[in-house]
Amino acid sequence: MNWTKKYPGWTMFGAMAGLLFFLWGVAIPLSAAPAPIGPAAQQFTEGARITVWLTLISGSVGVVLGILAGIGKLSKFMPLRLLCDFYVWLIRGTPLLLQILFVWLAVPSIMPTSISLSDFACAAIALSLNIGAYNTECVRAGILAVPHGQVEAAKALGLTPLQTFLDVVLPQSLRVALPALANNMASLVKDSSLAYVISVVELTMVGYRVQAESFQPIPVFLTIAAIYLILTTAFTTLTAALEARLDVGQKR
Amino acid sequence: MNSTPQPIIIARNVDKRFGSFYALRGVSASFSEGQVTAIVGPSGSGKSTFLRTLNRLETHDAGEIIIDGIELNDNLQHLDAIRREVGMVFQSFNLFSHLSILRNVALAPIRVRKMSRQDAEARAMALLERVGLKNQAHKYPVQLSGGQQQRVAIARALAMDPKVLLFDEPTSALDPEMVNEVLTVMRELAHTGITMLVVTHEMGFAREVADRVIFFDEGAILEDTTPQAFFSNPDHERAQAFLSQVRHGF
Ligand SMILES: Nc1ncnc2c1ncn2[C@@H]1O[C@H](COP(=O)(O)OP(=O)(O)OP(=O)(O)O)[C@@H](O)[C@H]1O
Ligand SMILES: [Mg+2]
Repeated sequence: MNWTKKYPGWTMFGAMAGLLFFLWGVAIPLSAAPAPIGPAAQQFTEGARITVWLTLISGSVGVVLGILAGIGKLSKFMPLRLLCDFYVWLIRGTPLLLQILFVWLAVPSIMPTSISLSDFACAAIALSLNIGAYNTECVRAGILAVPHGQVEAAKALGLTPLQTFLDVVLPQSLRVALPALANNMASLVKDSSLAYVISVVELTMVGYRVQAESFQPIPVFLTIAAIYLILTTAFTTLTAALEARLDVGQKR
Repeated sequence: MNSTPQPIIIARNVDKRFGSFYALRGVSASFSEGQVTAIVGPSGSGKSTFLRTLNRLETHDAGEIIIDGIELNDNLQHLDAIRREVGMVFQSFNLFSHLSILRNVALAPIRVRKMSRQDAEARAMALLERVGLKNQAHKYPVQLSGGQQQRVAIARALAMDPKVLLFDEPTSALDPEMVNEVLTVMRELAHTGITMLVVTHEMGFAREVADRVIFFDEGAILEDTTPQAFFSNPDHERAQAFLSQVRHGF
């Protein structure tokens, strides 16, 4: 951890390189493993890639949604505030599994037939909306944590409200919100496993299939667990380093 | 019409209420260009509130404020124009904590004056040199002492080339040994022809540097006179009491 704080740039680089290297090369040691694992090495790799994609896409969209809704929740414009409150209330009050099923089954029936969403896209939409709602609260708390004197100084210098927000409030609030946002992102690695119910072939689905064919759940699920642990470790290391990186100018 | 120049700040019968409480009641004062005014008075007398109505950090409820010929009201163009002319230095510095010292000073010229980043940073560097902090340009606010931060805050305000600088107790949050470095910078500024309104408890500074002293009490101006007159024999008992309290307090 200390190393992370001291060399955040290198740690970020290391974690990213490690993740890429893992996704690219994990099939090699896996294929050397005995019976239920070895023959399925390629499937495991594909599953891990899908899981990482799902996490990165939903995580990024989720951050944007969180920022927008977090701002909206603090807006002076009441309808917007109500809309954002409703969004957070709705998402946080219902199970993620239901949200995934809803996007997959219910949304196509109300959409024009010309638009067809892949299973992966449905999972990404549901996960983005879900993590976005949790991020909203973090961003809102971050904005509220910015001292009022910072806003007054910006106003007194003649910055417009938008400039004040973008140049002063947002960067400072994201620095406050980052640990919580990072936490949400790391749990997304695990939450993305629910996408298996709508037949997205991510890591958990791969495990389920391989054990069903081989009737050896123990080695298969242990392998899956190990891959998840490596992924979550890479993500938490990455976010911890990012946090240290953004810590400049912060009270020690 | 006539040859006497328009005052740069005119306040007429300004009221400010917080709920039913009057923080300012009928405050009238005008300030001519280049004048250095010390604003003194007991705690809660409305000194900060008055300063903050001048750049609309607080909106006044009645009366009028005209700065450099522009009326301060809900008109946003007027507000923009006035905020370009009026800089402010706060008691708690309020430097942008996520930006380096250099970026703190260069931000407003880049955003508001649309200066190129290169020009703005060169100018910021020159201003930092003027306040004696050129070698700290790439540090962050937390890495500086209070006195250094306040000098950066002054440089940041000067970067917008304001005609008026408002100081709200610029040395009150400082350790005693840092007060002088800030007062020195302010003393130098006072001779540059910029209009300064300084809320302060530093009576030495008021007496020595200011052209004029305004004494606030309960939201109104009770005395408006020269430092000599104010410190030797103030007209009002409240001002006398204030002065003797300040003298005995230090
Ligand atoms: N935002 C606010 N809401 C309510 N009351 C306020 C607010 N700001 C100031 N006041 C009140 O207005 C009065 C004048 O406050 P102001 O800050 O102008 O006093 P001051 O002369 O600057 O005092 P000090 O020397 O303590 O800084 C005080 O009684 C204060 O409690
Ligand atoms: Mg005050």
